[in-house]
Amino acid sequence: MINFIQSILYGLTIGGILYIISIGLSLTFGAMGIVNFAHGLIYAVGAYALYSVATLLGANFLVGALAAVAVSIPLAYLIERFIIRRLYGQSIDYAIIATYAVLLIGADALKWFFGASPLPISDPVGELWYFGGLQMPAFRVIIIALSVLVFLGLSLFFKKTLVGKIVVAGLQDREAVRSLGIKVERYFAIVFVIGSALAALGGVLYAPLSTLDPYMGFEIIILCFAVVIVGGMGNLRGTAIAAFTLGMVHSLTAAYLVSSAADAMVYVVMAVVLIFRPIDAPA
Amino acid sequence: MLLSVDNLDVRYGHAQVLHDVSMHLNQGELVCVVGRNGAGKTTLLKTIGGFMKPAAGSVNFQGKRIDGQPLEQVALSGLKYVYQDKRVFGELTVRENIELAAYPSHESLDQAIAKVVAIHPKMQKLLDAKAKGLSGGERQILLIGRALIGDPKLLLIDEPTEGLAAIIIGEIINILAAMKSKITMVVVEQNLATVSRLADRVYVMKEGVFSREITDPEIIANPAAYEDEL
Ligand SMILES: Nc1ncnc2c1ncn2[C@@H]1O[C@H](COP(=O)(O)OP(=O)(O)OP(=O)(O)O)[C@@H](O)[C@H]1O
Ligand SMILES: [Mg+2]
Repeated sequence: MINFIQSILYGLTIGGILYIISIGLSLTFGAMGIVNFAHGLIYAVGAYALYSVATLLGANFLVGALAAVAVSIPLAYLIERFIIRRLYGQSIDYAIIATYAVLLIGADALKWFFGASPLPISDPVGELWYFGGLQMPAFRVIIIALSVLVFLGLSLFFKKTLVGKIVVAGLQDREAVRSLGIKVERYFAIVFVIGSALAALGGVLYAPLSTLDPYMGFEIIILCFAVVIVGGMGNLRGTAIAAFTLGMVHSLTAAYLVSSAADAMVYVVMAVVLIFRPIDAPA
Repeated sequence: MLLSVDNLDVRYGHAQVLHDVSMHLNQGELVCVVGRNGAGKTTLLKTIGGFMKPAAGSVNFQGKRIDGQPLEQVALSGLKYVYQDKRVFGELTVRENIELAAYPSHESLDQAIAKVVAIHPKMQKLLDAKAKGLSGGERQILLIGRALIGDPKLLLIDEPTEGLAAIIIGEIINILAAMKSKITMVVVEQNLATVSRLADRVYVMKEGVFSREITDPEIIANPAAYEDEL
């Protein structure tokens, strides 16, 4: 029983990280119909920025985390301004090719700077917390708490701010928002940058649980696509539910079935959902 | 002349839907466009409203050429289109729907809400309801009220009574009749009884061309005189 609860808690950690990374992907997909592989690069850059500042320069982990988020903002802005914005209304194939190219080029640039071998980042807290008979690394508890905070923060943002409301309306009907005289793409760009900063944060949170490698963006982006597909493109609550569910599937498969099948099981669940979900009527 | 549409050709891909369509509108007029399903009425309004680019021809509004300009810019220049399918932002409340329309205008939220409530006082009670819960008639009233925010110079209203219950239709007609003295409108309408009540002038559209323009008030008042031309 203790083991089971522990696996659930580990699943929540993975789910939380998946959620934090997937939200930006889901919004870009839902709002603009753009499949954005470059999102995986932002995630990897976040992790490497943390490594550079915290490990190479020897600064505090928190400083490294802030640096990672700070680096992601101009990078996301450039990607939005020069690549994503040109893909509006184009065929989805162009988006796949263009953003995949960004991910590839970026991953090779990371390899060139940092080398191909995996780099470790140590657990920044390094403590175990005990809850009754359970033990949890404190860092994982912090991840779960952070992902809940991100969820609450985004919910408030989309409910209460004008930018958030414009994006919610634009997710449903972009043309109708434009016909009010609102340049809706500008607001999508703001949300794109927020989503990217969260992807960098996801990289920061995941790095200590694993190791860095230049191609880490490829693995995560496919998992996040599964989350977006299961949760529904542009569906904020659906993305959260899907992320935590798939995180759980991942963790329970690793604990009770075959650990190397954990990723595969996520895709099996995605396929099952796709088979049984009624086809959404187009808005 | 407030609006001048000259020799418009409009296509969807290879299919040409409008052929050499010209129309004009004077300040203060209410012009109805009538025609069968598929005649091209919505296509005409959407082309004037900046949603589509014509393949040929031009649209001049307040003396400025607007065809080919971005939709946002056309809207901000004072020309608002009200959708045929009564689409509101369903996930937002009525108040938030109004807020979004007020934001790019010079009006405060309170002024904007007052405008919508003025055309239909019952909207006051619905301000905090999600727009997806509104009835068809309530949606239409919200859309028309919302289109008035920012003091547009011209409204393009696409089949405002389509699919609504008879009692609501009467209400919408009253709202439009009351707006008539204050704002210039193009109204697409299939119900000729409504047309005869509202229109100063009528264009009959048939398979992408204007087959007739009716200016004589006596003929307009007597729909039997032109109903078989649709
Ligand atoms: N997006 C589109 N792509 C291709 N063809 C279209 C499109 N929209 C409309 N059409 C075609 O253009 C023609 C005119 O359509 P339009 O919607 O302008 O007609 P309408 O007069 O508004 O009809 P209704 O009374 O049914 O609203 C129709 O033959 C229609 O099938
Ligand atoms: Mg129509």
